[in-house]
Amino acid sequence: MDGETTTHTLTMAEEEEPLFSNLDLFLFTLIVGLVVYWFMSRKKPEPIPEFKKLDVPAPTTRETSFIEKMKKTGKNIIVFYGSQTGTAEEFANRLSKDAQRYGMKGMATDPEEYDMGELSRLSEIKNSLAIFCMATYGEGDPTDNAQDFYDWLQENDDEDLSGLNYSVFALGNKTYEHYNAMGKYIDKRLEELGAKRLFDLGQGDDDGNLEEDFISWREQFWPAICQHFGVEASGDDSSIRQYELKEHPDLKMNKVYSGEIGRLQSFEVQKPPYDSKNPFLAPVTVNRKLNEAGDRHLMHHELDITGSKIRYESGDHVAIFPVNDSALVNKLGQVLGVDLDVVFSLNNLDDESNKKHPFPCPTTYRTALTHYLDITNSPRTNVLYELAQYASDPKDQENMRKMASSSAEGKALYQNWVLDSCRNILAVLEDMPSLKPPIDHMCELLPRLQARYYSIASSSKVHPNSIHICSVVVEYKTKTGRTNKGVATNWLKNKPVTDNGHKSTIPMYIRKSQFRLPFKATNPVIMIGPGTGIAPFMGFIQERAWLKQQGKEVGETVMFFGCRHKNEDYMYREELEEAEKNGVLTQLHVAFSRDQEEKVYVQHLLKKNKEALWKLIHLENAHIYVCGDAKSMAKDVQTTFHEIAEELGAMARTQATDYIKKLMTKGRYSQDVWS
Amino acid sequence: MENMKSARKEDTGVVGRDLSEQIKAATKENHVRAENTQLMLSYQKGQITLPQYKVLLCSLYEIYKVLEEELDRNSTHPAVAPIYFPQELARLEALESDLEVFLGSDWRKRVIVPAATHRYQQRLRQIGEENPALLVAHAYTRYLGDLSGGQVLGKITQKSLGLSGKEGLSFFSFPGVSSPNRFKQLYRSRMNSIELKEEERREVLEEAVSAFELNIQVFDDLQKMLSVTMATADQSQSGFPAAPQISQFTMRLCVALATVVTATSTLLMIQYNKND
Repeated sequence: MDGETTTHTLTMAEEEEPLFSNLDLFLFTLIVGLVVYWFMSRKKPEPIPEFKKLDVPAPTTRETSFIEKMKKTGKNIIVFYGSQTGTAEEFANRLSKDAQRYGMKGMATDPEEYDMGELSRLSEIKNSLAIFCMATYGEGDPTDNAQDFYDWLQENDDEDLSGLNYSVFALGNKTYEHYNAMGKYIDKRLEELGAKRLFDLGQGDDDGNLEEDFISWREQFWPAICQHFGVEASGDDSSIRQYELKEHPDLKMNKVYSGEIGRLQSFEVQKPPYDSKNPFLAPVTVNRKLNEAGDRHLMHHELDITGSKIRYESGDHVAIFPVNDSALVNKLGQVLGVDLDVVFSLNNLDDESNKKHPFPCPTTYRTALTHYLDITNSPRTNVLYELAQYASDPKDQENMRKMASSSAEGKALYQNWVLDSCRNILAVLEDMPSLKPPIDHMCELLPRLQARYYSIASSSKVHPNSIHICSVVVEYKTKTGRTNKGVATNWLKNKPVTDNGHKSTIPMYIRKSQFRLPFKATNPVIMIGPGTGIAPFMGFIQERAWLKQQGKEVGETVMFFGCRHKNEDYMYREELEEAEKNGVLTQLHVAFSRDQEEKVYVQHLLKKNKEALWKLIHLENAHIYVCGDAKSMAKDVQTTFHEIAEELGAMARTQATDYIKKLMTKGRYSQDVWS
Repeated sequence: MENMKSARKEDTGVVGRDLSEQIKAATKENHVRAENTQLMLSYQKGQITLPQYKVLLCSLYEIYKVLEEELDRNSTHPAVAPIYFPQELARLEALESDLEVFLGSDWRKRVIVPAATHRYQQRLRQIGEENPALLVAHAYTRYLGDLSGGQVLGKITQKSLGLSGKEGLSFFSFPGVSSPNRFKQLYRSRMNSIELKEEERREVLEEAVSAFELNIQVFDDLQKMLSVTMATADQSQSGFPAAPQISQFTMRLCVALATVVTATSTLLMIQYNKND
């Protein structure tokens, strides 16, 4: 409206009789205002400040048919989780995400929210698969959210699941009696009901390394599934890569990792506290051979921890970071035809991932292969599968893919050609000359080089600034005529002793254990440690000797040791015989397995001394300690104790087993064993 | 009682002379009751909210502060020395860092000490002063619990509060213990090496029962306190603190007035346009 018209309008208004008086208008708008106010003052659902919004599932009609949901969203893989603490659920989510990489679509699902009776309907979906991530709770029980499913499985004997493809990953803890009971049950029961198992039961042990168990299983799982469904990975081959290569030709050397585990320069400038991310570089003060003869090489090392503020107790473990043999690394460089001193980074393509690089980057290929990557263990099937694309010979490619598949022929080929022949990655490359992978992709696939743990063989009361370890060098000939060498033991063997000119160090840190002498010095101890299993007992014996020196009363100290030949590998013979002479060791029993016709091991000596042992155990509160080989020795020793309890304690076998188990619960039977 | 679930491993067989077994048997019922308090049941279901957890943390801090003070003071006492594992078990520093994450750097001024927690502290101070042999009952109850079911609660807490990473969850982490199960075995052997006369042994077992009861009272106290707070929040319809409530009123009034003004001017304009 232009000015003239407005004025004109106003003038007109003044002249005419208004429709509403001003008072009317005021009253009207006041009423409108009040109405508006009233509407606004009605209760509104306000979000409560600072409270975390809890995820409440919409109480509207929910889809209880997972089949319908899968059809609607185009999913062919369903991952059920039986989870109490969220771990199984997390694994289920990861598996469901994985499906995409293989051209499939997955969904992670809580069995409590759906009608599990629909499992038989999965055959309606093409290439369908049900994965179960099932945790065991308490005494072999299902988790809360899997209780209904468990009941349903138990009750329905006539359920026909013949159209169901499945695989199970079980989560549990080996120290509990009913380890993975739930996962094992589901794996068995589904088969009983006619379902088809596509991949073997995976078992994760939370007392060991659950994550590692899961990853290992998963790495074999997917290639098997892809093989079964005849699907190739989605997109072109390079999309499988998790990391992207970047080279740094002009980077200053002080910005490049040269073997540090955590902080850059942490090997140059050492700062406590020392742990797995920040190891202490301990100078080697002693490196001596322990055996007199024989073809093995047993050794004793001493590491100086002066000034590190590191404290330890006898029975603790020392973790050391070994490096690979440089000859092996050089050969890899030659076979791949690359310059190992190129500086590079591998950057994660997934921006949201916490893991930016597979190992400390930027670094050189030489450093990566020497310090960060495992190049001596046989490559896992997933590595072969991913590298197959780089074999120019179609036969080689086919064989590599076959070895990674779940077919019986493929498994046998992998077992024979890789595992039984002990082929490491270099051997694979040498024996398959058409295989020429890019070195960066190989670096992405190889597992990390792990720290090695050794039971400390000294007592901090006697050697507060020195850590002793003993080990045996691993070296063996393979079927292919090659000689495989253990990484850590060969590196230790060749470690020179620090002298004024040359500082020779080992990156290490202490991992506390629970393997401890009894609190009271008067308490009898029975130590069983054949071979390098004697390590922690050297510390125990030193400590008891020290207590004696201090004038304390020390109880029975019994040692059972074993080796092959008295005159060859009787390690620490002088120390042990001296301890016996001084009365520090009240009994010393040594088994020489190969000095006579029949094999004599520590458990045979235990049997021979059963009366004395039973008296110590049953009447004098003796603590039993077993250290060394897990597979045979520890089992045989435990069985022997069952037999002794049965015989001398007049117990039934189950009672004897319970008796020994109770000793373990009460901390009177401890094991420090390795496989 | 039969209907109450327990996540604890069942113990079969006769209870012997070992303190570790006797204490477990003596507190069996209390343990089940503690797991089945309203607070713990909600917790296990993943229903703990951030305000609830903050208050719980405050109580845990106050309890461990006194427990660890008394353990340190009595560390050479023959009934404490065998079970004295400050490096492996001590929770105080972890609790302090968690409180800083949740309450900010001035957390010390904002720590709340409910009545039941205070009673717990007093009991600990009393036995630390008068009868340190009873401290093992409390150490067993708290620490072994933290190493057992406590580990599960850590994961539940992380999920319930929507936390990624480990910030604010140091309480549940025992970096000095590589294997909770093996550590518990060691701890039990140490408990069993404590020399106690018959009378003292009975007192320790009774104290363990009290320890559980004190914990149950703390949970119940927290539950009551937090239910009242939640109820008040509902009534005021805007949640606490009260300040936003006032501004809500003002806001509504302003909107109403604005509407009045807009309505008035619109009608006036219509009127004057009409007359055009």
